[in-house]
Amino acid sequence: MMKKLAAMVVMGLALVVTAKAAMAAPPADTLAEVKKKKVLVAGVKDSLPPFGYVDEKTREIVGYDIDFVKAIAKKLGAKLELKPVTSASRMPQLTEGNIDIIAATMTKNPERAKQISFSHTYFFTGQKFITRKGAVRSLRDLEGKKIGTAKGSTSEQNVKKAIPSATVLSFDDYPQAFLALQQGKVAAVTTDEAILAGILAKAPNKAQFEIPKVQISEEPYGLGMRKDDTKFVNFVNKTILEMEKSGEAKRIFDKWFGPGTPYHLQRTFRITADK
Amino acid sequence: MLNYHFDWSIITSGKYFDWLVSGLKTTLEISAVGIVGAFLIGLLIAVLKMSHFAPLRWAASAYLEFFRNTPLLVQIFFWYFGSYKILPAAVNDWLNNTNFEFAAAVLALTIYTSAFIAEDIRSGILSIPKEQMEAARSAGFSYLRSMQYIILPQAVRITVPPLVNQFLNLVKNSSLAMTIGVMEITYQARQVESYTFKGFEAFTAATVVYLTLSVTITAAMEFYNRRVLNPQRG
Repeated sequence: MMKKLAAMVVMGLALVVTAKAAMAAPPADTLAEVKKKKVLVAGVKDSLPPFGYVDEKTREIVGYDIDFVKAIAKKLGAKLELKPVTSASRMPQLTEGNIDIIAATMTKNPERAKQISFSHTYFFTGQKFITRKGAVRSLRDLEGKKIGTAKGSTSEQNVKKAIPSATVLSFDDYPQAFLALQQGKVAAVTTDEAILAGILAKAPNKAQFEIPKVQISEEPYGLGMRKDDTKFVNFVNKTILEMEKSGEAKRIFDKWFGPGTPYHLQRTFRITADK
Repeated sequence: MLNYHFDWSIITSGKYFDWLVSGLKTTLEISAVGIVGAFLIGLLIAVLKMSHFAPLRWAASAYLEFFRNTPLLVQIFFWYFGSYKILPAAVNDWLNNTNFEFAAAVLALTIYTSAFIAEDIRSGILSIPKEQMEAARSAGFSYLRSMQYIILPQAVRITVPPLVNQFLNLVKNSSLAMTIGVMEITYQARQVESYTFKGFEAFTAATVVYLTLSVTITAAMEFYNRRVLNPQRG
């Protein structure tokens, strides 16, 4: 029986390997490739307002992230094609050539930068907590407590570092983590402030909760591109710097996060060239 | 595959190895408690289902149909999130301060699997012709002794293969516990993947763990069946 099993495993692996080998390798020069094909394929979130989500009326994916790739596609003279990705799938999709660029609330960090290239920071937020009102004044109030977050996120890794004594419960998504908070199963839910503000804005009993001024990390979001695709990275960086200069980047921020939205966030950053 | 560099060293030592080991430990705990619990409850339900007292039979049938016919994932959420609305506040507070995630996952797995086990045991007992019971009784055995010496030894032999299936299912289903934050082996493999981007290595480790567990259970039951239940054939 074990022999048969081993043979089957080997056959399965062989299939995977040949299937991958048959696929075209990702282009080395995305900029030239996109200009030639006149299509830019962007990997975006499709259920995370206001960064990327399906608009109820138009049935199209819209959001902060989408407006940025839209501007880049326009500058390239290419048609924009959106492909939904998850936090776990976005990097493999890019390196395998299924998408040309990631615009999916992706935090820039050194581990990820070993695998892909990042643009300058186009959105800046920090990791905070939602808690019951008045329950948390400082990080010390969360020591030894259970804290909820979502799987595969940088939030999960940051909170373990910031509060080693806490038990981190990772749920499939943030609404579920928030339900656990409402039922008292966790003392706090943690992730980027912009996402927390979105959760709180939708909560039915939001008066009972708050986002205390306790920040455990800075989260700069970058657009992700393939490693060593220098021409494309330079082009994207130039484009978003121009958007900052022309005021378009600020307009996009205010459209999704400003006073007219449920989030009421202040823009505390500017898009500048990374050091 | 072409541009993927294998690095097995990350999962064979250090921090990530420790994570996988602690995941393995949790999977073993869930499986062990689940298998014993599901077998005992399954046995009880099987007996109730064959009771001569109708209300007990109805209760057993209701239990079977309910837990066999709803998805396990829904049951896990029911015990973990749904129980909150039913239980008094003091009980909820107490539960939330314990390792309720683990308890809810084990409870859901045990009850879900016990429904299948009950049916396997019952069909094992029913497969023994009733004439054997009549013959045993007329030879002077009491009902319980007939069960003990004549019916059950044969029934258990028939029940072992389907029981193995249920035990294996339970071990594999325990991976669903990660949806409510229980850090078993699949959860830890995902964790290692999201920290290192070495998903292939991490999930290979998890696969080897499940295979080893399953093969061990199968071999143990096979041994039990041969040496203990059927010694003359061994």
